[in-house]
Amino acid sequence: MTAPKVQLSLRGIRKSFPGKAGPVPVLDGLNFDIYERDFVSIIGPSGCGKTTVFNVIAGLLEPDGGSMMFRGEVVPGLRGRVGYMMQKDLLFPWRTVLQNVMLGLEMKGVQQGEALDTAREYLSTFGLSGFENAYPRTLSGGMRQRTALIRTLIMDPDILLLDEPFSALDYQTRLYLEGVLLDAVETFNKTVILVTHDIDEAVALSKRVVVLGNRPTKVKAVHEIGLDARSPVGARSDPRFAEYFHTLCGELDIQTRTRAA
Amino acid sequence: MTSHVLKNSVPAKRAAGSLRRKPGAVARAADTMVGRGLIQMIAVAAFFAAWEVAVRAGWLTEFLVGAPSGIWRVFLGSMRDGSLPVDTWYTLIEAILGFVIGTALGSLAGLGLWYSVFVARLVEPFIVAINSVPKIALAPIIILWFGTGFVSKVALAVSLTALVALIAAYQAARDADSDLQALLASMGATKNRIFRSVIVPSTLPAIIGMFRINIGFALVGAVVGEFISSQRGLGHLIYTASSLYDLNTVWVGLFVLMFVGFVLYHLIDFAERRILPWRQVNTAGQVQV
Repeated sequence: MTAPKVQLSLRGIRKSFPGKAGPVPVLDGLNFDIYERDFVSIIGPSGCGKTTVFNVIAGLLEPDGGSMMFRGEVVPGLRGRVGYMMQKDLLFPWRTVLQNVMLGLEMKGVQQGEALDTAREYLSTFGLSGFENAYPRTLSGGMRQRTALIRTLIMDPDILLLDEPFSALDYQTRLYLEGVLLDAVETFNKTVILVTHDIDEAVALSKRVVVLGNRPTKVKAVHEIGLDARSPVGARSDPRFAEYFHTLCGELDIQTRTRAA
Repeated sequence: MTSHVLKNSVPAKRAAGSLRRKPGAVARAADTMVGRGLIQMIAVAAFFAAWEVAVRAGWLTEFLVGAPSGIWRVFLGSMRDGSLPVDTWYTLIEAILGFVIGTALGSLAGLGLWYSVFVARLVEPFIVAINSVPKIALAPIIILWFGTGFVSKVALAVSLTALVALIAAYQAARDADSDLQALLASMGATKNRIFRSVIVPSTLPAIIGMFRINIGFALVGAVVGEFISSQRGLGHLIYTASSLYDLNTVWVGLFVLMFVGFVLYHLIDFAERRILPWRQVNTAGQVQV
């Protein structure tokens, strides 16, 4: 296997937020690389600054120090190059499904007619034909999140930034959408950075998992996940799944075996 | 829901079989557009009938409270000689112009403050201070500045509505979902784009809600302005009639004002349904308590 090409690298990213007793350091020199067509999950204890990492990559927050390289070029952030998806679907309630999906295209200045065709095509690919004119509040949580995923993909971003996108959904819907995501990433050749607190999800979906430590946060470890199955259910049935799961739990100091009572 | 509970409990079964009717059955049957309208009309008719009877029986003095029959006579007379339509027209136009100008200026300024936290913080104490002055107290100065005609009434209505609009719009803009703004920013949207695509649509419900309040305030401005000095308008009609103890005419002015406010309120309701189709509440799914 040839050495993977680095797409995005973070070097010494530092960020602190003002607190009552002076600045609170959150990110304390973060280093990691994302490869082309990578699927990286970022896990860590709660409050370790996962979302801050995200906002820095997305270019919504300026780091206090450190640098970011995108395909060999130093960049301040990836504004306009990333597709951003969060636990909240962030659909615009005053826009129909079709108008929501077209949002990114409008932003890029794509012509109305062309945007309309593309949006219709994506909606039918993801099984949302017939819901073009529905408003988000009339849809189920799974359908809303699927719409959000389409809106993210249709912009053809270089990197998908997913911040716990499925954590508000029930388990079945989540498994289904994880599958949709994996297929889409495969079809559209996307790089994905997934922030999650769900170790199970991280193992099942990722090629690599970046473990963050406690605040002030550094990268604690990077684990390669070598599961062959490329479906969320298949991955979870792989005999090595449990092994990875336990290793990562260990990294986060989660007790996975109860001591003899 | 109810039938499910009834099926499964023995005492409830017995109660349903007894002569006692289920509470609220009449209310439910009457709760249709026609049913409600009928009840409302009966209530209004009963009120006026009781009033008329009380005056004729001598329990109330027509001189002090007026009487429906007298009000009706004044109404027909002033319609025939054309004075009532003219007065109504004056007040209506003053209120509408005041509403439109005040609400537009206030809303634009309030939304504009979203652009700069610095400016917003800078002007906030001034807005609060100006807002705490009862605007009606400005009426004498406004008459001095803008004269006794039409313009001063509009100006008074503007002074009453502008700050309400400003505060409502600014508050709504500040409360707009910051995650939606971050999402657009991550797509590379400019501040103007975020303003157009997030701030304006997400503040519309609050702004239209404020329209309802401001329609009332605009009418207050027009009428109070006419009280102070005027040759025309419903405020003028009410003021001059009451100084002549002509209560029936006062009532005509009041009822026409009520009607005008009512119609304007429903016009806003209608506009709201057209402008905010995504917000329509589905009453069919409402839980019956």
